[in-house]
Amino acid sequence: MAEPTLKKPLPVLTSEAKPFWDAAAEQKLVMQRCQDCRAYIWTPRPACFECGSERVEWTQLSGKGQIYSFTVIRQVVGRAASEAFEPDVPYVVAWIDLDEGPRMISNVIGCPVEDVKLGMKVAVVFEQQSPEIWLPKFKPTVS
Amino acid sequence: MSIRSKAAIVGIGETPTDRLGSKPGEPRKSSAEYLSWAMHLALADAGLTLKDFNGQGIGVTIPTAYPQPFWPEEVAEILGITPGFLLGGATGGAGSVSLLGGMSAAIASGMIDLALCIGAAAPFAEHHGDGLQPGDMRDFEIPFGTMGPNSKIAMVMRRHMHEYGTTLDHLGKIAVAGRYHASLNPAAYLRKPITIQDYKDSRLVADPVRLLDCVLPANGGKAYILASPERAKKLRKPPVCVKGFGERSNPSYGPRAGSDALVMGIKDAGKVAMEMAEIKHSDINFLQLYDDYIIVVYLQLEDLGFCAKGDLGFFERTDFTFKGQLPIQTGGGMINCGQPSTAGGTLHVLEAVRQLRGEGGDRQVPGAKTGLVSGLGVLPYGKNLGCCAVAVLGTQP
Repeated sequence: MAEPTLKKPLPVLTSEAKPFWDAAAEQKLVMQRCQDCRAYIWTPRPACFECGSERVEWTQLSGKGQIYSFTVIRQVVGRAASEAFEPDVPYVVAWIDLDEGPRMISNVIGCPVEDVKLGMKVAVVFEQQSPEIWLPKFKPTVS
Repeated sequence: MSIRSKAAIVGIGETPTDRLGSKPGEPRKSSAEYLSWAMHLALADAGLTLKDFNGQGIGVTIPTAYPQPFWPEEVAEILGITPGFLLGGATGGAGSVSLLGGMSAAIASGMIDLALCIGAAAPFAEHHGDGLQPGDMRDFEIPFGTMGPNSKIAMVMRRHMHEYGTTLDHLGKIAVAGRYHASLNPAAYLRKPITIQDYKDSRLVADPVRLLDCVLPANGGKAYILASPERAKKLRKPPVCVKGFGERSNPSYGPRAGSDALVMGIKDAGKVAMEMAEIKHSDINFLQLYDDYIIVVYLQLEDLGFCAKGDLGFFERTDFTFKGQLPIQTGGGMINCGQPSTAGGTLHVLEAVRQLRGEGGDRQVPGAKTGLVSGLGVLPYGKNLGCCAVAVLGTQP
């Protein structure tokens, strides 16, 4: 079987982010939350970036949100590894504002790129990339 | 603590920029060659020699794709200087303005009385691989197929257009003013004047970012020399005083996990710099704003307080040319003169110095006494630019 010539770059399983990827593999979207100031913490880190507390715990989110902004990638540029995304062009990279507040970078999938709009409601789905890594992506919510 | 007018710029050096073959006869030069060339131009401008810098300050901007972590040390070796204080400009594109603050503080402390700030890059001639990426970008952006800064700035631009009704006419005005100035600057790379329609018709790169929204990568080297006021008096060019400096890294407006992506740290950095310089907006004769993208220049004008956020009328009525009420990018900016990686931002410092010396030629702002320069660098997760550095420069202390 022929190996694909270019592989998409995958996240590194750092110790601070491992609980996120472990949950994603179980189709759950989790983020750290400060048990003192109640701030959500994204991306993963060792302590609260609002108040400095080390009392942070992983919390499951609804996986629902809306599109804060987006771009349509029509051309791969820059780093050599970017070429692995060539077969996906055109695709949407978006900032998703989750209902709980934090903002994530992800892809909007499951609809034509022309239909993507700011403020559109979306929900998380997980796409497997490797044995350990499932990427959280977002699909428009059927109203 | 204030470092107001404790240091002055006494020399500038800027090599031509090139894109290695995009125009006939462009030379193939290395970073080392551009560094040496820029330094010698600055030395000649100031009337100083290499030996004057032994035991003094050297500041070096650190390029984005250079795998050698001790680059400032290597630059000292390349140039043949034994500095007494070596500083890396590690704030990305903000590096040269950050160094202006750091080196002015070192001079104000009395530790040194002379400093060379320098940077070069040759992305078209040298290849150092993709380099390492910050962890957030590596783990939570690139796996989703983000394509460098274009993707993120496209999202900032689209959100601004959505929230405030900003149109390509508002943004295009900045592009047209910049190119007009470039047409009057013999050292600019792109010199053919453009219209708003040309801007609108330019190719979409990362929707809604167009080709004429984007900075122009280039090879080149740039340098400036700082001196204490006492030392500056003995040198050949009229000193340009560093009147104020402010910087903010990792800014956040709103919760850190979801800050307002349309507000920049320059809001606070600019306030600090202007208060240090004891100036009002109306005292500023020109702005040289870091221009990786047109929308980024636009956001800075808002966040520096020249107008309220979303005040479209300000952009409709203001003349941004050197003859107008608020001249910006008087040499054409990096968008038209080229960006040799993180050394690119130095261009704005150099153009400010030319204007304040009255060396602006056909694009000279009449009676320019005070100017503001910004440097911006790094695109952190979920935000716009990470480091915003601002300097106020003037002909008088």
